[in-house]
Amino acid sequence: MSAAAILRAAGLSVRLAGNLIIDGAALELRPGELTLLIGPNGAGKTTLMRALAGLIPADGSIELNGRQLATLSTRDRARHIAYLPQGHIFHWPMSVAAVVALGRHPHADGFAPLTDADREAVGRAVAATAIEPWAARAVTTLSGGERARVALARALATQAPILLADEPTMSLDPRHQLVVMELLARAAHDGGAVLAIVHDLTLAARFADRVLMMERGRLVAEGAPREVLTPARIADVFAVEATITDSAVGPIPVLRRPI
Amino acid sequence: METARRSGWRLEAALTALIVLLAILSLMVGPAGLSPKAALAGLFDGEGPAGIIVRDIRLPRTALALLIGATLGLAGAALQGLLRNPLAEPALFGAPQAAAAAASFTIAFSFASATSLVVPFAGIAGALVSIGGLVAIAGRRASLTVTLLAGLAFASFAGAMTALILNLAPNPYAALEIAFWLLGSLEDRSTDHLLIAAPFCIASWVLLAMNARAFRALTLGEDAAASLGVDLARVRMTVVVGVAIGVGAAVAVAGSIGFVGLVAPHLVRRAVGSDPARVLLPGALAGAALLTAADIAVRMLPAADELRVGVVTSLIGVPFFLAMIFSERRLLAGTAS
Repeated sequence: MSAAAILRAAGLSVRLAGNLIIDGAALELRPGELTLLIGPNGAGKTTLMRALAGLIPADGSIELNGRQLATLSTRDRARHIAYLPQGHIFHWPMSVAAVVALGRHPHADGFAPLTDADREAVGRAVAATAIEPWAARAVTTLSGGERARVALARALATQAPILLADEPTMSLDPRHQLVVMELLARAAHDGGAVLAIVHDLTLAARFADRVLMMERGRLVAEGAPREVLTPARIADVFAVEATITDSAVGPIPVLRRPI
Repeated sequence: METARRSGWRLEAALTALIVLLAILSLMVGPAGLSPKAALAGLFDGEGPAGIIVRDIRLPRTALALLIGATLGLAGAALQGLLRNPLAEPALFGAPQAAAAAASFTIAFSFASATSLVVPFAGIAGALVSIGGLVAIAGRRASLTVTLLAGLAFASFAGAMTALILNLAPNPYAALEIAFWLLGSLEDRSTDHLLIAAPFCIASWVLLAMNARAFRALTLGEDAAASLGVDLARVRMTVVVGVAIGVGAAVAVAGSIGFVGLVAPHLVRRAVGSDPARVLLPGALAGAALLTAADIAVRMLPAADELRVGVVTSLIGVPFFLAMIFSERRLLAGTAS
């Protein structure tokens, strides 16, 4: 918790088509920490993440290691921030190995083949996500859970100090949700600064080192899961009646009914 | 991945060998048939009737077929990479249609013969005007959808202009000449045509090839590609301009030649593991082979008049294409989105 922030945003606002989507957000991402961003649909979570990834223009300040993100070259930015968009899209039936190697794109020069460092990074990402058995398969033939792991491996292969993942557990079965969350937690505890959007408050309570709660473009709460995920806040922000129950894996919110 | 790379070079070597064979065959075939030996002697010695036939008539024609076929194949592969869509083809942004309209106008109203050098210059000018208009209207940082819609509008407008020119053609001969020219042909093209088209085609190759890695990253979608350091606005702009000048120049010297740009990348895609970067070179080679083969076929098929190569590319391309679709139904199903 004491590590210096690697990514720091302050007074961050984003307008899309004239509408204020993000309104004065301030947050820090620190190495070694898994931060989970929660909030209802339309709260601006994806927009905030795209702004942090440098993909859309934003007002205010985003500092990467003390330097303004907007002043970095796209390649320098890409080496520092790995971004995993929603949906795990693969347009062409490329092999799993070739897809994971795409994570090395920010490190490659022109038409040079993969270097030993590239191969090692790809190998680690493949091993971490346990996707070796499908390395030669076309990625489009995999199941949703398998694709999620390949997509995550691609992002890990960049070996960027910051990983931003937009709903990496979307449309996954319970087992794969846990697999993906454990991988993100491990990436963080290995020294990465990881920010992920999740909708499942139980996953947020279990895995987050820190939770950011977002509502209508504003960050309304930040802290350890047990501080942020209170029945009052869940009622306010999500309009859901909830109780917090102690379980074998710690306190978890039990959602009762919509308010 | 090492094995993929090795087998990839084998593919390119095989395509190159095929192209050399087709090129030699193309020098042999015509109203005066030449043996391989006579054709090669004519090519290297340049003596006697064989020398004139091979060097002045068949060599420019063969070189143009290779140049234009490669340009169309590469343009198709690049656009499919940019759009992540196997149905993309070079006519998408309207440049070939604009080139055809401008060339038709010259044929109709300046009474230039369809093989005059005025026609390719007009065609290239038409293609350049259409790109300029597209960039001006869609804007330099336009989204893909806006660029595609604006390109569709330009293509439709240019198609309508061509129809209007045919409609208003001063006499039936001009209309007939335009109609035949539009079918696409490499007949009676000279070294001058080659020299007019080559700079544009080669510039187009450079612009498209430098985006190879971007096409590969784009398989993950635009946001992920941008996060990997791909400058999407620059990629879009260079690809649109690269396709337009290459295909515009191709249409300007040879008329409309359909299907090569769509089908050539598909013929080799499987062999390169569907990698949208690695498909570029074999896609270009396959395009060159396909157009040269079609141009040989028009000279060999018995017909009252020589068939137009634009007709034959589709005739021989479609069966290949259908066989490929049939054998890869399952993989292709995963790419539709």
